[in-house]
Amino acid sequence: MKNSRLKKEFIKERQFFLASPAILWQILFLYIPLLFLIGISFFRSFEYFSIKHVTLDNYKVLLTLSYAKIIGRSFLLAFFNAIFCFILSYPVAYFLALRVRRFKHILLFFLALPFWTNFIVQVYAWFFILDYHGLLNSFFLKMGIISQPLHILNTPIAIYIVMLFCYLPFMVMPIYTSLSKLDTFTLEASFDLGATPWQTFSNITFPLSLSGVQTGFFLVFIPSFGEFVIPTLLGGGKLMFIGSMISYFFLETRSVFLGAAFTCLSGLFLIASALFILWLFKKLFR
Amino acid sequence: MEIRSRFSRYLLPLFVTLIYLMVYAPILVLILFSFNKNPLSYEWHGFTFHWYRDLFKSVEVFDALKNSIIISFSSVFLTISMGLLYVFYGATTLLNRYIVFFYGSLIMPEIVLAVILLSLFSFFSVPLGITTIIVGHTLIGLGYVVPMIRARYEEIDYRLIEASLDLGATQNQTFFKIVIPLLYPAIISSALLVFIVSFDDFLISFFCSGAATLTLPMYIFSVIRSGATPEVNALSTILLVVSSLVIFILTFLKSEDSGILR
Amino acid sequence: MREIRLVNITKKFNDELILDKLNLTIPSGEFFALLGPSGSGKTTLLRLIAGFEHVDGGSIFLGKKNITQVPINERKVNTVFQNYALFPHFNVFDNVAYALKVRNVPKDIIEQSVIQILQKVHLEKQIYKSITQLSGGQQQRVALARAVINKPDVLLLDEPLAALDLKLREKMLVELIELQDALETTFVYVTHDQFEALTVADRMAIMNQNGQIEQVGTPEEIYEFPRTSFVAKFVGSTNIFRGTLKIEEKESYLKIDDLGMFKVLLPKHKAWVCDDCTVLMSLRPEKIEISKKKLEGFSNCLEGIVESIVYHGRSTQYHVRLKNDFLVKVFEQNEEHFPQEEIDYDDKVFMYWQKENVVLLEK
Repeated sequence: MKNSRLKKEFIKERQFFLASPAILWQILFLYIPLLFLIGISFFRSFEYFSIKHVTLDNYKVLLTLSYAKIIGRSFLLAFFNAIFCFILSYPVAYFLALRVRRFKHILLFFLALPFWTNFIVQVYAWFFILDYHGLLNSFFLKMGIISQPLHILNTPIAIYIVMLFCYLPFMVMPIYTSLSKLDTFTLEASFDLGATPWQTFSNITFPLSLSGVQTGFFLVFIPSFGEFVIPTLLGGGKLMFIGSMISYFFLETRSVFLGAAFTCLSGLFLIASALFILWLFKKLFR
Repeated sequence: MEIRSRFSRYLLPLFVTLIYLMVYAPILVLILFSFNKNPLSYEWHGFTFHWYRDLFKSVEVFDALKNSIIISFSSVFLTISMGLLYVFYGATTLLNRYIVFFYGSLIMPEIVLAVILLSLFSFFSVPLGITTIIVGHTLIGLGYVVPMIRARYEEIDYRLIEASLDLGATQNQTFFKIVIPLLYPAIISSALLVFIVSFDDFLISFFCSGAATLTLPMYIFSVIRSGATPEVNALSTILLVVSSLVIFILTFLKSEDSGILR
Repeated sequence: MREIRLVNITKKFNDELILDKLNLTIPSGEFFALLGPSGSGKTTLLRLIAGFEHVDGGSIFLGKKNITQVPINERKVNTVFQNYALFPHFNVFDNVAYALKVRNVPKDIIEQSVIQILQKVHLEKQIYKSITQLSGGQQQRVALARAVINKPDVLLLDEPLAALDLKLREKMLVELIELQDALETTFVYVTHDQFEALTVADRMAIMNQNGQIEQVGTPEEIYEFPRTSFVAKFVGSTNIFRGTLKIEEKESYLKIDDLGMFKVLLPKHKAWVCDDCTVLMSLRPEKIEISKKKLEGFSNCLEGIVESIVYHGRSTQYHVRLKNDFLVKVFEQNEEHFPQEEIDYDDKVFMYWQKENVVLLEK
């Protein structure tokens, strides 16, 4: 591009060093530690930190059913959270992108707000709703739908509900972005050529929004996989997910090496899941 | 105008309203109850500012707040300065290619970032505390700042830089007198962004803080864990308001910048 | 059966009246052009016919059927959009086949029809290409093919050639004429470019900035016999003079202050034609003969000084200043390689024209 070429002539090579702190920071505090983590997963302690003592022991400990359950549970949580988010988000994104004119910015602002708010505060807010004496139960009792209050907090249901509403904005934004880039004339053309609203949606609107759906799916799936706050606060301490397990290893039992191995294992599983989902998308929609 | 099926004309707005309500109901309830004379019961006992006043008396809250602010401001300072340097002086194609390095922190789940930092610090026996948290927050912050400032930088008319040099300014003078002022919107936006991300951050703070340091989110977490106290409602409300304000300013800036302000 | 009748069409946008009780009949099977300046409401009219907008008043008839309340996808009217609005995720085949696909036409028939229509627009070799690989002209033809494949009663074209360069535009105009001939569909072509309109139209309507129709007629009628000065000025260029009619037994004259009396032919059956009435005279630049010498055989003559000369290759345009300070435009075709007469700046010239070649206008 013309811009870069001229700037290139203008910047001399010695400035390379001025530019490097940011990159160095990333390398020093992200990529090297990452490799480091992968490395220490093959050791048992820092005293025996040499080639001779490379071992797979950590992994052997982890490849048991109980750990598999934890990883599987986290995968299901992340996967279904993404699906539920999608079901609720798509109509919202569609409405904002294609149906609203005047209040669009205000509505978008309010949607983006929880995106940037602390999860902890949001979770705490849900306590008031989901508690045994909370608003949801009071409402149901008053309406006569149930005779006794439900125990929702400290169950998986609570986790799924709160995850859903906390991650909703993550899915709405990308879908909204791809829908708002749609050329509305193509929709008009579709109707003009005789398509019904449903045909227009399934043939034109939805396929063209798929990139946004995919982005949203990953924006929800990947963080949900390692989510710590929500399962910990709402799970009642009984259910372990990857996030809480990692915290357990590193902070409570200080078994850094086992923790490293577990993290690597989970990471591998995450990558595999991500590839699986990519394949799924291709299969279903291309 | 297109055809709208009966579904999308009536059901859709209803559905969307419902979703917005469900997203905001808990938060609104929380805010409401922070003014409740007895916030831990679900009945309304009367309006009061009591809990807010209590907050100001709490030493722990002040400590946590102090830490959060120090950490946030430091992170902002570091990310902005390093980010600016990278964007301007790294504009050679060589470093341009390495911009992908900054996407790493955005892709990984935050808990992974937290533990790799913890491992690193443990190995080198670095004492955990405010500094280590700042390191982590800066790491994440760079992932926001660099793309944002870079995008804005690419939009600058290169002829302005040429004109500056033509009139006799050195590279550094051009950087400070021309480039940075032109980048102000992006700088302010990304600074606000890093601030709020750092201020609200929990995971990195939780893992990299060691025994002694508490940030505000960490404080709230521990209080909820051990049994909520009334002040937490007030504190959460304050946190919400602060975040909202920052996001509001950000949105306002962004819309001014792209000219869609009404 | 494919005639469009617009009856008392009214359309508002945010309290602004775009079209006010507009009436227009577009005959069946014709290539009809809607010509007007930007903002004249011609695109709005097109969108009303297609069904993208609802009328605020009036009715639209297609043949005998009142289609005012009929939804977009049920009208047998198709549109070629200005930006083509091709479906980006479909290739050429799928784009063109769309209209048939949504009606569940069997696959083999679809394939046949698509190939047929693509042959008509000379795109049969690009049939499976992604539309992003096509040039502007090719995309335009895909949009055309897509819109005509299901044989609509009416095809609406909204400035379809606006994005193309001049040479391509001229070529496409001819192709459009041939296509309309072959299909016998009614084409309604909206444009602000009079050259396009004059080229393609069997009949055309001129709209002004207030959304009103000034005149409807064949290109010739519009050009040679404009009914208002707006039409005279908008289509082609002209010189407009204001004067008073002097009607006498054998001859009629237009008295123009400071310039004199000029012989005119009175239009028949016009209420505003009366003795001593103020009227306008439209004299087209190409109808004027310019010369430094005195010529015989012309009804009228004006004197002036040449102020500017612009050479256009096949013609030369003169601006001549009259003694009342009025500036007259004259076109001379450069018929001779070595002109017999050289006209130069500041030359005193005579301008001659026949009384049959002017048009008298009321306003």
